[in-house]
Amino acid sequence: MTPEQSKLLNGLGLIAIDTVLVLAFVDQLWFRDLPCPLCILQRVGFIAAGFGIALNLLFGPKPSHYGITILGACAGAIISVRQILLHIVPGSGEYGNAIFGLHLYSWALMFFGLMVIGTGIMLFFERQFAPETKIQQPSLLSVVALATFFLLAAGNVISTLSICGVGLCPDNPSGYLIFNDNLSITSLGNPA
Amino acid sequence: MMSLPFLLFACGLGAGWMQRRGAALGFWAAGVLVLLVLFKLHATDALNISL
Repeated sequence: MTPEQSKLLNGLGLIAIDTVLVLAFVDQLWFRDLPCPLCILQRVGFIAAGFGIALNLLFGPKPSHYGITILGACAGAIISVRQILLHIVPGSGEYGNAIFGLHLYSWALMFFGLMVIGTGIMLFFERQFAPETKIQQPSLLSVVALATFFLLAAGNVISTLSICGVGLCPDNPSGYLIFNDNLSITSLGNPA
Repeated sequence: MMSLPFLLFACGLGAGWMQRRGAALGFWAAGVLVLLVLFKLHATDALNISL
């Protein structure tokens, strides 16, 4: 696999992560399904994992970038497992809407697992790590994937601030904290 | 505070876009560290399972 082919696959991988994060926003904004604290941390896991793919697009493929993706996916998977275990016993409740029979935290665990497997497979193709002889202009796919990824990270800053303020999130958010009339700067640091 | 890791990763992406790889890696490491701290702060309830 040449570095160019690797960048193409990395670009498609980052588009896939962008799609997951966009769908999370669709669920939040269209279906009014506010993310819980662990759900927000799983979004962080997706961005932590996608960061390695973004570095591959920006600096060329390197094993350390794939390591970043694996570590980020593992961090996200640990959070997903925690949330699944909270609700795994029948009757212990659930959080959010189920999609095709599975809740978002179960889907997230599968995606994190797929990312680890996919990244492990990519590491087998060692020719992609050969130094590039000429500086390549980033492809349109890479630019679109990177710009969308950056916008989603920035969008999550705004979204999380509006739900949680500057403190920790409430366990079961019922609305956007930032639209609460009684909110003051002092109460932001002391979540209920 | 919950938005801090997103902010750190966004800064890291900005640094990467400006070809500052070391800074990008630093922002990523800081973001993961904050993620783990936030996870510890939120994972307080004992799990009702028997392993």
